[in-house]
This record gives sequence, C-alpha cells and structure tokens, in this order.
Amino acid sequence: MSARSFLIWRGDADGGRHARYELEVQTGMVVLDAVLAIQRSTAPDLAVRWNCKAAKCGSCAAEVNGRPRLMCKTPLDTLPEDVPITVEPMRAFPIIRDLVTDVSWNYEVNKRIPPFTPKPDADWSIGQEDVDRMEEFRKCIECFLCQDVCHVLRDHRLQSQYFGPRFMVRVASLEMHPLDTLDRRELLAGDGGIGLCNITKCCGDVCPEHIKITDNAIIPLKERVVDRLYDPVAIAVRSFRRRLPLQLR
Amino acid sequence: MTVTHDVLVVGAGLAGMRAAIEAVGLGADVGVVSKLHPVRSHSSAAEGGINAALGNASPDSPEEHAYDTVKGSDYLGDQDAIEILCREAPADVYQLENWGAVFSRTEDGRIAQRPFGAAGEPRTAYAADITGHVLVNVLYEQLVKRDIRVYEEVFVWKLAVDDGVCRGVICWDLLHGGLTAISAKTVILCTGGAGRLYVGTTNAYACTGDGMALALRAGVPLKDMEMMQFHPTTLAPSGVLITEGCRGEGAYLLNADGDRFLTRYAPHAMELASRDVISRAEQTEIDEGRGLNGNVLLDLRHLGAERILENLHGTRELAMTFVGVDPIEEPIPVRPGAHYHMGGVDVDVWGRTEIDGLYAAGECACVSVHGANRLGGNALMETITYGRRTGRHAAETALGRQPGTVRGSALSDAQRELDTLLGRAEGERPWRIRDELGETMHENFGIFRREEQMQRQGEIVAGLRERFEHVVVDDKGAVFNNDLTQALELGFLLELADCMVVGGLARKESRGAHARPYDYPNRDDANYMKHTIVRWVDGRPVLDWKPVTVTHWQPEERTY
Repeated sequence: MSARSFLIWRGDADGGRHARYELEVQTGMVVLDAVLAIQRSTAPDLAVRWNCKAAKCGSCAAEVNGRPRLMCKTPLDTLPEDVPITVEPMRAFPIIRDLVTDVSWNYEVNKRIPPFTPKPDADWSIGQEDVDRMEEFRKCIECFLCQDVCHVLRDHRLQSQYFGPRFMVRVASLEMHPLDTLDRRELLAGDGGIGLCNITKCCGDVCPEHIKITDNAIIPLKERVVDRLYDPVAIAVRSFRRRLPLQLR
Repeated sequence: MTVTHDVLVVGAGLAGMRAAIEAVGLGADVGVVSKLHPVRSHSSAAEGGINAALGNASPDSPEEHAYDTVKGSDYLGDQDAIEILCREAPADVYQLENWGAVFSRTEDGRIAQRPFGAAGEPRTAYAADITGHVLVNVLYEQLVKRDIRVYEEVFVWKLAVDDGVCRGVICWDLLHGGLTAISAKTVILCTGGAGRLYVGTTNAYACTGDGMALALRAGVPLKDMEMMQFHPTTLAPSGVLITEGCRGEGAYLLNADGDRFLTRYAPHAMELASRDVISRAEQTEIDEGRGLNGNVLLDLRHLGAERILENLHGTRELAMTFVGVDPIEEPIPVRPGAHYHMGGVDVDVWGRTEIDGLYAAGECACVSVHGANRLGGNALMETITYGRRTGRHAAETALGRQPGTVRGSALSDAQRELDTLLGRAEGERPWRIRDELGETMHENFGIFRREEQMQRQGEIVAGLRERFEHVVVDDKGAVFNNDLTQALELGFLLELADCMVVGGLARKESRGAHARPYDYPNRDDANYMKHTIVRWVDGRPVLDWKPVTVTHWQPEERTY
C-alpha cells in the first residue's frame, strides 16, 4: 500500500477543471482500478465508460499523463511516482461528462465503408498466409486512441475530410481479404482522405494492440490508391473507356 | 415519443446480433437495445473458438459432438436441444465465414480445428485467440449493412407484460437520462451472463444478469441457476481470462512442487479434461497447500516462442500486462474464476419462454445445451445457432400480430419507483453491498459447496436484499450516471443470487459444476437427473423441478 495523487478532469461540454484525489493504492493496480476506487469512495458522480477490464472491449480509452491509453491496461507502477497521475478524456472527441466522450462520429464513419462482399462463386479455400495478413487488422478493439492522437483529427479537426487511422485499418482488412470483390480505393482517396495522413506514425505508437497502422495499413493503401488513380496506363485506359458507348465499357 | 418495432432484441452481443439479423431477413422491423455499443459486448472476450463437426482435422460427426456435449453436461443437458445445436452448427459456421469471419486455416485452405477440453475430436474452429472478437465485428458489420436500428447505451430496466403478453420494455437512456418505453410485438433477451455475482470473474462489469432478472420479475422461471462454471485459468486478482486454447496447444498445469497434478485427477485427458474437473483439481491443490499464493501454474514454455507468438499472442500480452509474466520465459500463475452461467431463463428449442412474445437466447437463456457443465467452444456456437433460431421464431410470431404498446401506466409506475430511489438522501451506497455479495458468493457458493455454507449464503443474501431496500444513489444527475446503473444492476444480482442458493440447496448430489464432496459426493441420477426451476413469487424464490429430455444417451459414469 502506498498513497498516490490523481488529477482527474471533471466537467462537461461547457468546461471543467482537474479535481485532485488521494488514494491508497496496492501493487498490481491499473489506472482503471484507481479511478473506480475513487468513484466508490470520494467521487460517486464521476462518469467513466468501462467494461471488460481486460483490454478487449476498448471502452476505457482516456489520456493518462497526457498520453492516449487504455485505463485498464496502464499499471500504476509504470507511471512516475513523484507527480500526480493525470486522467483526462480523449481530446479529439466532444465531451459528454468527465471522462466520457462522444465517439459516435467514428460509428458514422464506419457506416460509410462498404462491407465485405465476397465472390458469389467462391470456393472458400483460403491460405493461412492470407489469414495472417489480415489478422493484425482484425485485432483492433476500436478504442479510438489512434483517432485521438492523429493530429489531422486532434489538432486540425479535419473530421469532415479524413476517416482516421482506425478506418484505414478497417479498409485494409477488407481490401486484403482474398475473396472480397470491392475496390475501395476511390473512397479512400476521396471521402476517406487518405492523402491527409503524412505518416507521422503516432497512431501505431498508442495502439494497445500494437497494430503497425502506418506501415502495414496506411502505406500499402496509399500505394494501392496511387496505382489505381495515378498510374498513367490506368488513366489512359479509363479515359479511352469513357469514350466508348456504354455497352462496350 | 412512441417507439415501436416488430421485434426488439435486448443486448447486442453475438446472440442478440445474430437474432436481429435473422429477424430482419424475414422482413421484420427490428430494434436492438444495449447498454453498450455492440462491439463492446462481452462476447468479444471469448478467445478459444467455436465448436462444429466440420471434420476438417479428423473424421467427425454431429452425433459425436452431441455425445461429447451430453457427457460434458453431466447428463443434465436436454438431448433434443443438444442434437439441434450439433446438427445445425456446421452450416452456421460456414455462414459466418461467408459474412467475412476469417478462421485460422488447415494447410489445404480449409477451416482449421483444434482440440478442446472433453471433445473427442479436434472440433473447435478459431481465429487465433480472438475468435469472439472477430465474430462480434463480423456480425456488427452485417447489422450495419442491414441498417438495423440500435439504441446504444440504453439500459433496459423493466419488461412490460400485459394480459400475459410481452409488449416491450422500459429503459433508461445512459447518455441523456430519462425513462422511455420501446414497444414491440416480441422481445428477445440476449443480455449474457451474471458473472458479476462473484468477485473473481472473467466476466466484464456489464455481466449482471439483466435479462435473467427481467424475465424472473415478469414471472418466467429460471432453470439450473446453481450451475455456474468456474474457468480453470484466470489471472488474480481481477479474473482476466487465459484461454483454454493454451491447453489445446499443449500447455501444462503444475502445482508448487512442479508436478503435473492432473495425473491424479484426470490421468487420460490431463489438461484437456472438462473445465469443472480441472477447476476442482486446482482448488484441491490450492486448499491442500500445494498452490502458490492461491494459484497454480500454467506452463507454456515447452511450446516454444514461435508457437506462442503465432497462436497465443493475445494470451502472452495479457499475462505480461496483468501479472508481469512473459509465458515464453516463465509459467503463468492462474486460478479458477467464475466464468459462465449454464443456468438461465427457461426456454424451449425456439427460445420461447412461458410468456407469450418473450424470448431469450445465448448465455442468459437455458435451453439447456450445457446442462451442469459447458464445454469450451460450445458457448459461441450456442449464441449463433440459438440466436438464429430464436430470431426466426420471434420474427415469424411478430409478423402475424397486431402491434401492441407499452401502457402509459407502466412507464409512470417505473418513473415513480425511480424518483423514490433518486429521492433517497441517506443510506448505504450500492458498491458495498455488491462487494459483499461477490465475496460471500465466492466463499459460500463457489467451486465446492457445503450445506451449511449455502444456508448461510441464503441468510446473507436476504440481509443484503434488506439493505438494498435502503440503498442510496449519490449521483442525482441524468447524464452517464454510473452510480444509478450500478444500483439497478445490483438489484438484479441480488435476486439471482437468491435463486442460485435455492437451486443449490435443493440439488442434493454432485453433478458438473455443483460439487458437494462433503455430503453428497456422487451423482444421483435416480433422484436428480432433472432441472431445478425457480420462480419469483411474492418477492421470493420458489423451487420446482422439470425433467431432462433424453433422446439417445443414457447416463453413464463420467471420467476423462
């Protein structure tokens, strides 16, 4: 047992402040344990979103000591002892109350991505190497920490122009399914705004699932987009096809 | 505001989403209401896999799957329900694959299957060790594709039942506050388990048995509630799950002396014996002083780094984060933790309850597929197969009916009850009662059960219920009021605990998860091969019994 201080942001969309809490903590505690202990003892009206306590559900995303993290996956003993631990809501999203943010923009973006669409006559034989390629992307738990840290969304507030790293991962998992038939590259280049990512790799750094978002999802997608939209041969073919009568295209 | 649907699904885990997709496919207007965003549901924590006799790893058949399940259930499962599950499972798994679920593969490109506890053949299809997570995301994509209306972060507090027919629900909006009614011709409860009855549980905080308690209060009986499965490999103290897939891959369980102690409990199946057998063996080792700080050890080291990284990377990550152990280098300390409720809302093979228009599926229901002990990999399969069947029946019923509505008086009654709760200024806060419930259930209604402890637990629960009458919610706000929802959930849990104790005391034998080594060490088929049934009458549980359906398999001794 030892005493730790916490500065937890309290407030709503109209504003707020940090409130200080003191807590006796035990070895092995994570930030979520501490926040819930504070909710039980001195702050019964502290609003938090959490569920699985095992880093699987993605609910308890917040900023701990200024860094986007899952509260349930951040042991207290990994944080400096000589200063209070700050816990704040994710900054890229509108605040609902205390640590709870409105992440519904992400769910709306998700709806704009055309779903898995297999070949009608597929024989469903898939190689393990194809599975392995998608596997990394399927690990995403949609905590939205990557969206929170992405400077396009966090600092430039370009939510209307860029889907964000989470949805580049989602598109990558669909595009790399060996039996999927859709081509989402025009969506990526247009509404998806993949060009706005300038590969700073902050998203992968905060990913609790260690997905190499930039290297394995965004860069390969950027390459595919370039191949599709800026390849001179492809442009010539498309331009030629546009001149043909419809039935011959 | 009047909101109405043909079919309303409560809960958006695998069973709920599968039911909703099926119902929409039949032309019903479907709403889904969940206290979580769907992909946050606890189904996504299921790691190991989903059982179907695909026969990809060895010759297999639905009959063999059914036999293993019947035997695993310690002959308390209803054999007609089990046969349906095992027969329909393969097509359901291929359907999931067609929707984009990418399972791990065999060398020739088919769905791979791995051995799991108490299964005669390698039968468990899997997506590495994130199977539930993959399936949740696939079903959510199908939900979105069909534009199914989801009421997210809305807590269902009451069922509206009128003239013996379920008319809808009354719910509390977590984001904005306020009680509302949602009317429906049929309602399907898919709210998952109630692991939060115990302090040490693999279950998420949301697993508070909401659907079971809603049904109970509406007059529907619960079945086999004493049957709570303890998973053999969970991390102390919070109960984070370590998948059975580890043992499927060949991990050993060791005691403090480094012995593979299962040689003395399950010499043939060893680490792949059924979960109840292994949890009891572990608890015996710990109780007799051969544990380490209340744990035994799960040793993966001999599997080698490559195999651990490839097939069990999620497990490694959990062990490193929550107990600071890298399983490539050191064994993981594990102990049994409350994991899965075999019991639940009494339903038939179409998910129907006793109340017209009310259905249940998934963990919150008891068909019964799992009887006294569930096999690993059968829960995910049940959510899909019985979610689909229940969605089908609920939709067909709804489409043949005139719309019903939740009566205004039901909403105003609920509002008054809520005002009373929020109006109380002094009293005890809910978490203290919740902690005491979880700790005493562990102590008195855990892996091994004694008559006098169960009786004491009954008295403790009665005392806690009395204290709950005076519970105070300090947070009076409308927006994301955690204090309020935790109080309402506690009300559910207390009634379920009462039902469990009544069932446990009545079952004077040892069967599956219900182990009474001190007074009734054997299974007693002559007197107790039957389901406990508990009804809520005048504010207390009343016991009844119901026969087990036997089709092909007569009870035999269960050894592994």
